[in-house]
Amino acid sequence: MTAIALQPQVHPAVEGGLHLEVTDISRQTESIVSITFAAPEGGRLPSYVPGSHLVVQYGSGVNAYSLTGSGNAPSDYTISVLRVDEGAGGSVAMHRLSVGDRVNVSRPRSAFAPASTASHHLLVAAGIGITPILSHARAAVERGNTASMIYVHRPDAGAHVAEARKLLGPGLTALIECTNRGSFQSVLAEALITQPLGTHLYVCGPVVFMDAVLEEARSQGWSSARLHSEAFGAAELDAGEPFTVHLARSGVRLEVPAGVSLLDTLETAGKTIPNMCRKGICGECVLPVLRGAPQHRDLYLSDQEKAENTTMMCCVSRSNDPELELDL
Amino acid sequence: MRSASTPPAAGNGLEPGFRGVICVSFGSTGDTAVPDTDGQPRYDLHFEAATADTLLELKSVFGSSRVGVRLVLAGPPTDIRAAAAVAADCGLLGEEVTLLSQETGPRFVYCPHCLSTTVDVTAGTEVTCHGCSTILAVTDHFSRRRGAYLGYSAHAEEAA
Amino acid sequence: MSSTIIETDPDAALLPERIRRFPFPFASDTYRYSANVEPATKTAPTEAGSWGTHLVDIDEHYLEELAERAKVLDRDASRVNVLPHMRPSVWDALTTLLSSMADDYPDTMSYHREGNTCRWHNGLQNLDIEFTVGDDSSLPGGPMRFLGSQIQDDIILLDVREDTLWLDAGLVTFAADWSFGFDVGMNFMEIHHPVPRVKEERIISRAQQFLLRLQPGEQFRRTNWTLTIGRRLDTSTETYPEWGPDRSTIADDPAMPEKLHLRVEVQHLVRLPHSGALLFLVRTHLLPLSDIARVPAWREKMGHVLAELPDDMAEYKGIIRYRKAASDWLLAR
Ligand code: HEM
Ligand code: FES
Repeated sequence: MTAIALQPQVHPAVEGGLHLEVTDISRQTESIVSITFAAPEGGRLPSYVPGSHLVVQYGSGVNAYSLTGSGNAPSDYTISVLRVDEGAGGSVAMHRLSVGDRVNVSRPRSAFAPASTASHHLLVAAGIGITPILSHARAAVERGNTASMIYVHRPDAGAHVAEARKLLGPGLTALIECTNRGSFQSVLAEALITQPLGTHLYVCGPVVFMDAVLEEARSQGWSSARLHSEAFGAAELDAGEPFTVHLARSGVRLEVPAGVSLLDTLETAGKTIPNMCRKGICGECVLPVLRGAPQHRDLYLSDQEKAENTTMMCCVSRSNDPELELDL
Repeated sequence: MRSASTPPAAGNGLEPGFRGVICVSFGSTGDTAVPDTDGQPRYDLHFEAATADTLLELKSVFGSSRVGVRLVLAGPPTDIRAAAAVAADCGLLGEEVTLLSQETGPRFVYCPHCLSTTVDVTAGTEVTCHGCSTILAVTDHFSRRRGAYLGYSAHAEEAA
Repeated sequence: MSSTIIETDPDAALLPERIRRFPFPFASDTYRYSANVEPATKTAPTEAGSWGTHLVDIDEHYLEELAERAKVLDRDASRVNVLPHMRPSVWDALTTLLSSMADDYPDTMSYHREGNTCRWHNGLQNLDIEFTVGDDSSLPGGPMRFLGSQIQDDIILLDVREDTLWLDAGLVTFAADWSFGFDVGMNFMEIHHPVPRVKEERIISRAQQFLLRLQPGEQFRRTNWTLTIGRRLDTSTETYPEWGPDRSTIADDPAMPEKLHLRVEVQHLVRLPHSGALLFLVRTHLLPLSDIARVPAWREKMGHVLAELPDDMAEYKGIIRYRKAASDWLLAR
C-alpha cells in the first residue's frame, strides 16, 4: 500500500460513493496509464451511461476521469489518466497507484450521454479525449447502432488504439487516425458534409480542440441539438466556498464549510428547518435574509426573487459575501 | 398528386448530399408562402395533400439529404403535421424544421374510446367520431406525433 | 411534509392493514399544487401508520391488481407502447426494479445476473424464469409486458434529449383520467398542458429542470390525489364513457361513504443507471371514505381540503359535482 491509499477523510464530491480496489494498471503511452478498479469483495458495480465519468479522490483533492467501458453491468471500472506534471497533483497521484491500493470514488456521473434517437454517431477524439469516445463506440456496437470515429493523436502516442481497432465491424464502421493538423482538418471537413440526417456528433479533447470542432460543425449547418461535448461536472453543484452565517434572533455565528450545505450546518447546530427535497426545488426550506448577498443555486425562487436577496433556499444556496445575516 | 408546375421528382431532381433548404408546400399554398432562403441552395416541392405516396416521396428526399439541411413546410395544418412527423422519423430535429401553418383549415381529432382519428372540418367545440359515432368534446390538448387534438365523450356525465 | 409533526394515533394498531399502510397525502387543511418531491424510500409516518419504505410496494391486492391489468391489456393494446429508441431503457428499468424487489422482499423474491443472463424468482406467482438482457423474445410479451406483470405500478419511461423529457414508452392501465395512448411522444410541458395553474406557478418547468439534473441512480417520489367512484383502477380517458356517468349520481347515493374512494398516487422518479432515461412509476392506492373516517385526523383534514379546494382545481380533478357531499359527510361525523 502506498501513502495516498490511506485517505483520512471522504471528500464531499465522493460521499455516498464507492470504496474500490485497484486490480490492474496498464501503460497506454509514455504519459498515459489505464487504471482498473473493482469492488474488494468482488461482484457487479453499478451500470453507467456511456460517456460517464468517475470522481476519484486523491489525498484531500478530487479529479474527474472518463470511464472507457460501455457501462452495461460492469464488474470493474477502467479510467485512463494523462500525467500532467504542472497540474494540481491529481494525475501524478493517480500514476503512483499500484494494484491492491484502495480509493474512494463517486458513483458514475453522466454529463455526455449518447442521443437515443441517433441513427449514427460521429465520434471525434483528441489525445486523452479518447476515453469517453471509446465508451460511446463500445456502447454503439453493443446496442446495434453504428458509429464512425476520428481520432487525433501524436505519432505513436495513441492510447486505446488497439481496443478501438478491435471494435471495427458492422457497429464501428470507420476509424480514421490523424497524426497531424492538416490531415485532421480535411478529414473533419469531409465528414461534416456527408453525414445522413440521423447523425449526432460527439467530441472530447482539449477545450480549444472541442471549440474548434463545434464551431466548424455549426458553420456547416449542424444544429446545436446534434452536437455533444464532454463538459466535466456541468451537471453537479460544486462544493462552494466556506462562509459565515449570523443568526440575528438567536445571536449565534456559524461557519459553513465548503462541501457542507447551510441546511446541514443549521441542523447540526440544533435548529429545526422545514425541508423536503433538499435539492432546491420544493420551496420548503426558505429562509429570510437580512443582510448579505446569497449565491442562489436553487430552482424554486424566481429571477426577481433571487435579485431581491431577501430570501434563500438553504438546502443548496450559499453566499457571495463572506457573511450572511439570517432572521433566525 | 404533384401539380404541373412543380420541379421533377426527388431522386432525379435533388442532388444526392443536398444540404440546403427543402421547401414543401401543400394544397393551394403557393411557393411564395415560403420565405427567402438567404442565398442557400433551395429545393421546392409542391403536393396537393400529404398522402401515403407523397410522404414516401418526402422520405426518399430526406434519405438523400445530409446533416445541415433545413426544412420548411407550408400549407394546411393536417398536411404539414403529417410531413413533420415523417421528417422527425428521418432524423430531422425540431429546430431544423419550420412550420408555416395556414390559420384555418380542418383539424384532426383523436378519439381515445375507439382509437380512430376524425377530420373535423367545422372546427367547433364538438365533433362526431367517425369511428364510433360518439359525440366528442374537442380539447386543446395536442399531440405533434399524431398531429391531432384529444377528444372525449362530451355527454357521458349526463347519461344517467 | 416534514414541517408538520405527525403523531400516530394510539388506537391505530387496531386498524386493518389497508388503512395503516395508506399513503394519506394531506399535511394540512388546505391543498395546492407544489413541487412536492422528496427522496424515495424514506418511511413516511401517518396518523394511522406509515408508508413508503420500498421503491416497489407490494400489498394485499398484488395478484388481484395484476389480473385486472392483464384484462385491460387484452382489451386495449393502446395501453402499452415502446417507441423503438426506448428498448434499451425498458431493459434498464426491468433489471433495476427486479433487483430492487429482490433486495426488499428476500423471502419471496430473488434475482441473479451473470453477464446478460438473468434469473428471476417470484414466489408470489410461483414463477422461475431465465432471460437475456437485450433479447426481447426471451420474456413472455417482451420486457415491458413482463415488467407490468410483476409490479402493481403503472410504468412510464421518459427519454432525455435536447434538454427536455419525452414520454416515449410506457405501460399504463390505471391512469387517473388521462390517455397514455394519446400522450406517447409528447414532452414534459406538453403532457402537463391540461393542468390548471401549474404554468403560471412555474411548477412544471421547475420540476423538469430538477428531473433533468438527477444523476443516474437517484430516486425521488411525490404524491398526487383525486377521488374515484367504486374500487376502479382503470379510470383512463379510454373508458370514460363507462365510469363518467357515476359522477352525476354519487352525491345522492346513500352508499357514498363505501363507494367514494380517495385515490392516492405514489409516484417515483428514478434516473436509470445505463440508459439515463427517467423512470416514472405511478402506484395507485384506493381507500373508501368510510375507512378514511376511522382515523379522526384524516376525516377532518380531508373534509376541509375538499371544502376549500378552488373550483378550477376541483373541476380539473372531475370532483366538482360531489366534493361538497363528500366534505359534508366527513365533517358531520
Ligand atoms: C416525470 C414524469 C411525469 C409524468 C410522465 C407526468 C404525467 C402527468 C400526467 C399525464 C398528468 C395528467 C395530465 C392530463 O390531465 O392529461 C399529470 C398531472 C399532474 N402532474 Fe405530472 N407527471 C410527471 C411528473 C410530475 C412532477 C415531477 C410534478 C410536480 C412536481 C407533476 C405535477 C403534476 C400536477 C400538479 C398534475 C395535476 C394533477 C391533478 O390535479 O390531478 N408531475 N402529470
Ligand atoms: S428542501 Fe426543498 S427547496 Fe430546500
